[in-house]
Amino acid sequence: MEDYKFLFKVVLVGNAGVGKTCLVRRFTQGLFPPGQGATIGVDFMIKTVEVDGEKVKLQIWDTAGQERFRSITQSYYRSAHALILVYDISCQPTFDCLPDWLREIEEYANNKVLRILVGNKTDREDREIPRHIGEDFAQRHGMYFLETSAKEAENVERLFMEIAVELMERGGVMTHNFTY
Amino acid sequence: MSFVKCCFEAGEGHDFLDSFVQKCTDPGCCCGCCSALRPRYKRLVDNIFPAIPQDGLVKTNMEKLTFYSLSSPEKLDRIGEYLFQKASRDIYRRRHGFVIIAMEAMDQLLVACHSQTLNLFVESFLKMVQKLLESTDPQLQILATQSFVRFANIEEDTPSYHRRYDFFVSKFSAMCHSNHIDKVQRDNIRLAGIQGLQGVIRKTVSDDLVENIWEAQHMDKIVPSLLYNMQTAEKYDTVLCMEGGAGEEEPARLAEACLRELVGRASFGHIRSVLRPVLTHFDRHELWIPNDFAVHTFKIIMFSIQAQYSYSVVEALMQHLDAGGSGASERDYTRVRAARAAVLSNIVAIAAGDSVGPSVLEIINNLLTNLRASVARDSEKETDEKLYQEALINALGEFADHLPDFQKIDIMMFIVNKVPSSQRANKGTKADCMLQSILLKSLLKVGTTYRTGELSKAFPAAFLDALLRVAAAAEPRARALLQRILHTLLDRRGNAPRLHHATVDVCELGLIVEKCSRQDLIFISKHGYALFSSLYEGLQLESNMMENVEAIYTTLALICIELGSEETVGDIMQLVLAIQQSSLSNPVLSVAQQCQLQAISISLAALVPHVLLLPRLADYIHKIIVARREEAPHLLPPLREEYDDLPPAKMPNKLPYLMMDQMALCDMLKAHGVDVSRLSAASPYSAGNVALPHRHSWLEAGAAQGRDSLAEITAPGTELDSANSSPGVQRQTQHDDLDEEYRMFTEKYNHNHRPAMQNFGAYRSDNDFWHWGHQDSRSSEHDMRRDRKHTSGGSQSGVSLEALRRAAGGPTGAERRDAERRRATLNNAFRTAPFDQLLHITQPKYEIKDKLEEIFNSISEEPLLPQSGPCSPAGKSYQHQVPPYTKYFPELFLY
Repeated sequence: MEDYKFLFKVVLVGNAGVGKTCLVRRFTQGLFPPGQGATIGVDFMIKTVEVDGEKVKLQIWDTAGQERFRSITQSYYRSAHALILVYDISCQPTFDCLPDWLREIEEYANNKVLRILVGNKTDREDREIPRHIGEDFAQRHGMYFLETSAKEAENVERLFMEIAVELMERGGVMTHNFTY
Repeated sequence: MSFVKCCFEAGEGHDFLDSFVQKCTDPGCCCGCCSALRPRYKRLVDNIFPAIPQDGLVKTNMEKLTFYSLSSPEKLDRIGEYLFQKASRDIYRRRHGFVIIAMEAMDQLLVACHSQTLNLFVESFLKMVQKLLESTDPQLQILATQSFVRFANIEEDTPSYHRRYDFFVSKFSAMCHSNHIDKVQRDNIRLAGIQGLQGVIRKTVSDDLVENIWEAQHMDKIVPSLLYNMQTAEKYDTVLCMEGGAGEEEPARLAEACLRELVGRASFGHIRSVLRPVLTHFDRHELWIPNDFAVHTFKIIMFSIQAQYSYSVVEALMQHLDAGGSGASERDYTRVRAARAAVLSNIVAIAAGDSVGPSVLEIINNLLTNLRASVARDSEKETDEKLYQEALINALGEFADHLPDFQKIDIMMFIVNKVPSSQRANKGTKADCMLQSILLKSLLKVGTTYRTGELSKAFPAAFLDALLRVAAAAEPRARALLQRILHTLLDRRGNAPRLHHATVDVCELGLIVEKCSRQDLIFISKHGYALFSSLYEGLQLESNMMENVEAIYTTLALICIELGSEETVGDIMQLVLAIQQSSLSNPVLSVAQQCQLQAISISLAALVPHVLLLPRLADYIHKIIVARREEAPHLLPPLREEYDDLPPAKMPNKLPYLMMDQMALCDMLKAHGVDVSRLSAASPYSAGNVALPHRHSWLEAGAAQGRDSLAEITAPGTELDSANSSPGVQRQTQHDDLDEEYRMFTEKYNHNHRPAMQNFGAYRSDNDFWHWGHQDSRSSEHDMRRDRKHTSGGSQSGVSLEALRRAAGGPTGAERRDAERRRATLNNAFRTAPFDQLLHITQPKYEIKDKLEEIFNSISEEPLLPQSGPCSPAGKSYQHQVPPYTKYFPELFLY
C-alpha cells in the first residue's frame, strides 16, 4: 500500500567490486548472489522500512563502480539524500581511492547529503584496512562509519535502518516530497 | 442544513447512500455480499477483475466503468486512486495477473477520457506506473513503460506544472543499462527503457512550462543511456534520416532514433546540454579510438540537428579537442586529440553548407588557434602531433570545400594574415617556422578547393600582397609551399602537374591553352610587376633549393599559359632575360643555382612561343637549345641538385654565345608585331635589391598598381607615371619637356581654331589625376598622349586620321632616341649624384604652409580644369598649382 510517510533516495558509490550490489541485494531481497556480475550504469531497488511506527520508503540507486560509467553515475548524486561510500576492507586500493570519491561527491552531490563510509567484506580473512583506519578516515571527513558483510548479512540491515532514522531526524523538512 | 452539507462534502457518505439504493446486480462480483455496501465506482472497478487473472479483463464491465467515468468525470481521480491501491496490494501479494489487468484498465480509461478531465486521473496513473517500475519484475517494468508511452502520446491541453519526471528519467536510464542474465529479456528491458525516455522527451520537450528536460541532471542520464545502447551495435551505417519503424526492435536502432528526435528538437540554447554529455561519454568510454562510432554519432547529430545550429556542434567539438582525456597517458592523449580532429573533419563539411557570416570565420579561427596550440606544444611524440595537425588541416579543407567561392577567398585572406612573417627576424624560432608551414599547408588545402574563375577575383589586391610578402619568407620550404598555393590558384586548366619539372620540349606536354580574357589582362597589367618582381627576387636567394627554383618555374609557366598574350609577352620575355642575366651576375648564387636558373629561363623562353604561336621566336630558342644540348647540357633542364663535375670553362658565364640575346629577341618579337618597347629597355629587375625586403608603403603599392615600374620610366610616352617614384628630378625634366610640347600643341590648335581641342587640352591637364585613379583607362590615354606627341613632333598638318594612324604605329626613331637620351640623363643623375644632392633636388620646393594653402585653394576651385584655359602655358599651371595627386599622396613629398 502506498502509505509511506517518508521517501529517501540512497545512492551507493565506490570502486568496482567492493560489493555495492551485494549490499543492496542483501538488504532488499535478503539474498547474497554469488558471482554477481559488474553493474552497468545504474541499478534500482526499493525497500520500505518502518521507523518509530512510520513507514519510510528507501529508493536505492546502486551505481556501477567502473570508471567508464562515472559520468552517468555522477548524475544520480544530486538528488540523493544519503550517499553510501563503500570500500573493500581486504583491498587497499579501494580504500586509497576514497579521497577521489569524496571529491566527486563534493562536486556533484548536494552539500547537505548524508555521507556514510562503509567497509564491506568483514567476512574476509585477509583484511588489509584495520577498522580504526577506516574509522579515522570517516571521522576526519565527517562521515558515519560502519563495517559490514553482505555475505554474512552483518550490519547490512543496521546500515540502512540507521540511515532511515538519521534522515528522518534531519529531514523534517524533506518529508514526503513525493516525486515521480 | 448543515447535515445535508456535511453529507455532500463527505463524498464517501454520498456514494454510500448512492449505492445503498442500488443493488449489486452482478453475480460474478468478486467482492461478494459486501459489494452492496461499497460506493458505486468501487463496485464498478471491482467488477472489471475476473475471478482468475488468466481470464483477462472483463470487457463488458470495463465498458460500464468507462461509461461511468465519462458521464461523471469528477469521479475519475477516485477511480484512479482505487485502481492504484488495488494494484499496489496485488503487487505486494505478487498477484501479477491482477496488476496487469489493473494497468490495462487504467490505459483504457486514459484513452477514453477527455483531456480536460484527464489531469485528475493522471496523478494516480503515474503513481501506478511508478509503482510497477519499482517492482523487480521485468515484466511489470516493461508493462509500465508501455503504459507510460501510451500516456506520453496523449496531448494534454492543460499543462501540469507540478508534475515531475525525475524518477522516470532515472529509472528509464537505469533500465537502459539493464544487465539481465537472459539476453532476450535484457534487450526487452533496455528497449523499454529507451521507449520510456522517448516518452519523457515527447511529453516534456514541447512544453516549456513543464519540467525542463534539458537540464544537466536529466541530460546526463538520458544521453549516455542512449549512446550506451547505440555503441553496442555491430556496425554503424549512418543514414541521413531513418525510415520510420524499421528495425526499431533493436535497442541500438531505437536509441539512435531517440537521439535523432532529441537532437532534432533541441533549440539553440539546448544544443550544448546535449553535446556536453555526448563528449563526456566518448571520453569516459574511450570511444575516440577507433573513432567509427564517434563519427557515426556526430554525423547523426549533424543530420538531425536543426540546420541553422549545426555549426555549434562543430564549435563544441572544436572546443573539446584539447579537453583532458580520462587520465590517459600523454601519448594516448595526443592520439585522442587526433581522433577527435578526425571526427571533426568528418562532420565539418555537413556544417559548411549552412554556415554563414561570422560563424564561418569563427570556425576557421578556432581551427587555426588549435593548430597554433599544437605547434606550441611541440611534443616529443611528433608523429602523433603531426597526425593531429593533419586532421585539423583536413577539417579546414573539408570545411572550405563546401563554402561558396567568395568565402574561400575571405578565408584564405584570413589565414594568410595569420602567417607569421619570418623575414623580419631573419631567423624565426622553430615554432614560428612550424606554424608558418602549417598555416601555408592549410592555405594550400583551402586553395585547392577554390576554382579560379577570374584571376582578379582569386587575387584581390590585399590577398596578393600578403601572399607575396610570404613569398619572401626565410624558410625555403615555406617559399616552396607558397608557390604551390600560387599554382593552385593560377592553374585553371589543369596544366600544373605537367609543368612540375622544367622542360624545353613543351610540345610534348599536351598543355591546354586558351585565350587570355580581357579581365585577366587588366589584372596582370595592375599586378604584373609586383608578381614578377617577387618571383624574380625569389629566384635570387642563396637558400633556394631545387624545389624552390622548380616551383617558381611552374608558377611562371602557369602565368605564361594563363596570361600569355601579345600585351604581356614583352614583360614575360623581359623577366626571362632578367633571370638569365641574374644567373651570370648575382654573386650569391651557387654554380648549381646558376645552372638551374639558366635551365628554367630557357624552358620558359621555349614555352612562350608555344603558347602564343610565334614561330620565329620558337626557331631562335630552338637554335639555342640545340647549341646548348651539344655544348652545355647542364644549362638545360632537367634540373639537378648538384653540378659538381663542371669544368670551369663550362660555367654559365663562360658561354655568352649560348645565351638568349636581348636584341635578337626584340627583333623576333617585333617581327611578330609585338610591342617590344618594354623588352628593349633596361631590365627593371636587378640582383642588387634582392637583399631588400619587400617593402610596403603607399609608394610601392601605388607603383605596383599603376605598373609604374622603372621600366616604364624609360619607355617613351609614360613620363607622367614616373613622377611618383622620384618626385623632384623627374618631374622637373618631364615638365620642361611636356610644357614645351604642350605649349606647342595648344598653340597650334588654338591657331587652328578648333574648339574641340580645347576640351582635349583641358582633359590633358588633369591627366595626372586620372593616372592615379583609373589605371584601367591607361591604355587609351597612352595612345592619346602618343598622338599628341607625334603631332607636336613637327607635322604641320594638324590632327588628321593619318596622324592618328601613325601615332598608333608607335613612336618614331627620333623620338625614341630622344627618350633614350632623357632616360640616360636621368639614370646618370641618380647613379652618380651624391645622396645629399639628390635629397636636395627631390625636396619639395614649397613651404608646407603655402602648399596647404594651395591645396585648399585647389579644392575650393573645383573643378580641376585650369581656369586659365588652354591658351595659357600649361607649364605655369604646373608650377603654381600643386598636382592634384599630392592631396591624395602627401607621403610622396615627405622626403
